Amino acid sequence: MAEQKKILLIEDDKFLLKLYSDKLVREGYTVSMAITGEEGLGKVKQERPDLVFLDIILPQKNGFDVLREIKGDPEIKNIPVVILTNLGQESDIKTGMDLGASDYLVKTDFSITKLPEIVRKILPA
Amino acid sequence: MKNNMKNEKSEVPSMQKISDVTSVISHQLKTPLAGIKSSLEILSSGDLGPLNKEQQEYVELTLGSAGKMISLVRDLLDASRIDENRFVLNPGKSDIAELVGETIKELGSFAQAKNTRITLNRAGTIPPLMIDGLKVRQVISNILYNAIRYNRGKGTIEITLENKGDHVLFSCKDSGIGISDEDKKMIFNKFYRSSRVISLAPDGTGLGLYISKAIIEGSGGTIGFKSDEGKGTTFYFTLPIQ
Repeated sequence: MAEQKKILLIEDDKFLLKLYSDKLVREGYTVSMAITGEEGLGKVKQERPDLVFLDIILPQKNGFDVLREIKGDPEIKNIPVVILTNLGQESDIKTGMDLGASDYLVKTDFSITKLPEIVRKILPA
Repeated sequence: MKNNMKNEKSEVPSMQKISDVTSVISHQLKTPLAGIKSSLEILSSGDLGPLNKEQQEYVELTLGSAGKMISLVRDLLDASRIDENRFVLNPGKSDIAELVGETIKELGSFAQAKNTRITLNRAGTIPPLMIDGLKVRQVISNILYNAIRYNRGKGTIEITLENKGDHVLFSCKDSGIGISDEDKKMIFNKFYRSSRVISLAPDGTGLGLYISKAIIEGSGGTIGFKSDEGKGTTFYFTLPIQ
């Protein structure tokens, strides 16, 4: 069962944050949230989540900078990070994957109903 | 090492040169649209409890409209990128016959609803091509969608893929309304829609062929059409075999 797994959502749109969070909570995950890049990075360091969903266009520090810092810190670099953004250009996807993202999802193209499947692929029960 | 990391700043590549109003607005629209779409998907999936038949129908219809808005935003962004020379294709090995097959399947119910029969013929072995599969699929989808939309009742659509040695030729022949001589000159222009087409299908944008042309020419191919008004149209494009 996945009940004990903790997922951190770093997303500045509160409506989307609620939708993703509620969906994951209904699936039995513990969810933590951050609405800026700085806050998100702080929570990754403090809370050591099992998985992070990370937006790119964020206040204070963009998602690529957050990802670079996570992957450059030996203490947290193994925490998988899935980018969940509306930037779908190949140049953005390449940047994200080169920086070490486990997956790259475009919000308008993916279905929220697939969110649990995406989590299970990265965090097998 | 860690300090150096902190001092580095990542750029967001696709956001670097966005200057025009269309592009900025389109980007701003994507976030609320993602919220609307996700919210409706949750309702439709029954996650929050079952909906009655009428509620389900309303949710599905609204979801369909959200999908159209997302496609429109994508097309506006693509058109802006073309105008600003920022439209990038990402070629990889791709099976065009598979792309055609998938698109026919995807639009099958639309064709059925319009009582239109689609056939696919292949001439010669079609090798994998070095193309941006997603974008070329967008072109195939656009051409086929138009062929269905502007066809007449009990119409036919013949799709052919031919190996021409140094290139593959895709053609799509319909039995539709055809294109007038006046429209022929304008059809690849951005936002162009003839008054006759608008009266038949008011919901188009006139961006599909503009974007299709950029995709095919950016892939090293050519795109064009032959049409007899009142008899039908054949759209074709070529893509090089490497």
